[in-house]
Amino acid sequence: MATAGPSSSSSHSESSNNASGGAEGGEDEAPDNSNFECNICLDTAKDAVISMCGHLFCWPCLHQWLETRPNNQTCPVCKAAISRDKVIPLYGRGSGNQQDPRDKLPPRPPGQRTEPEPQNSFMPGFGFGDGGGFQFHFGIGAFPFGIFTTFNNWGGGAAVPPEMERELPQLLQYILLIMAFFFYWNLFFG
Amino acid sequence: MPMFTKLAHKTSTAAKSSGQTAAKTAAAAAAAKGNVTSPAGKHFLDNTRWQKRLQKELMSLLKEPPPGVTVDVDQAHTKLTEWVVHMEGAAGTLYEGEKFQLQFKFSPKYPFDSPEVIFVGENIPIHPHIYSNGHICLSILTEDWSPALSVQAICLSIISMLSSCKEKKRPPDNSYYVKTCSANPKKTKWWYHDDTV
Repeated sequence: MATAGPSSSSSHSESSNNASGGAEGGEDEAPDNSNFECNICLDTAKDAVISMCGHLFCWPCLHQWLETRPNNQTCPVCKAAISRDKVIPLYGRGSGNQQDPRDKLPPRPPGQRTEPEPQNSFMPGFGFGDGGGFQFHFGIGAFPFGIFTTFNNWGGGAAVPPEMERELPQLLQYILLIMAFFFYWNLFFG
Repeated sequence: MPMFTKLAHKTSTAAKSSGQTAAKTAAAAAAAKGNVTSPAGKHFLDNTRWQKRLQKELMSLLKEPPPGVTVDVDQAHTKLTEWVVHMEGAAGTLYEGEKFQLQFKFSPKYPFDSPEVIFVGENIPIHPHIYSNGHICLSILTEDWSPALSVQAICLSIISMLSSCKEKKRPPDNSYYVKTCSANPKKTKWWYHDDTV
């Protein structure tokens, strides 16, 4: 393909509309077009997705490959780990013109949009809701238990991963509730 | 194009299964008709795309073949799923001046499934990873296959495998394997442990 020099320039416009195999000139892809060929079907990528390692595929092609080896999902080109969630769809300018995506099997994974980093509010502790690090907490029981419930409450956002920020204190609360229950049980009936 | 040429002997063989062969011919017939769905009802892309890929591969193999490789175009045109590739031993190697024929068979699942590649004809190269029935122990032909590989890549791997050979000999278990193996090398459980050649 790299050797297809100036002689192939006449076929440039022809190759862009997917000549289905007929003439020799139609097969002769222009060199700049081959950069956007799917690595699996070797045709111009349709419903294009790109892997984290930077390799381009048609989504239907890649999906079929991932289905072929569900336990060992690797990039066909470089064998890097790859997965449905780790590919990025490419939307060109013409993408609005395509057929209804619901007709397509399988659906292409959506793009991942993250909101821009919010500005830190003035006092993080009182910024209820958006962006601030305020978190509800309660303490039950005597001193040794109460001390546990108070940590991790002024999380500044970035320091603790959000999943942990939500789940860890909740787990602690359950444990503390149970411990407190036995503590009082012991106190009154022991 | 990255290549993974873990090469080695095989150790055990899968039993022949006539049932599987029948299923395969049925699948091939379905492919010839251009069915869009597989027997399992799973969605498959239209076959014209894979035919198109094979045609593209054929074109690029004609245009830029690896050194010493020529493809039998007429035969490939009569049956796109079965190719014969002629190969010459590279100059300066143990196989210099020798001529070999490789047979490629593409299943309807190509390129998700690797092609079946064996040496055919009178001259089967004598190599520690090539059995006398033409079967080749090459990891990219089974478990290390990737749809980004191509006929060109396979040819190059095989040439490289031949060229790096230091001593012409058959695999140690050749006579046993040839007696017990299936006709299809893909039914063999290959064990890739020797990547020196």
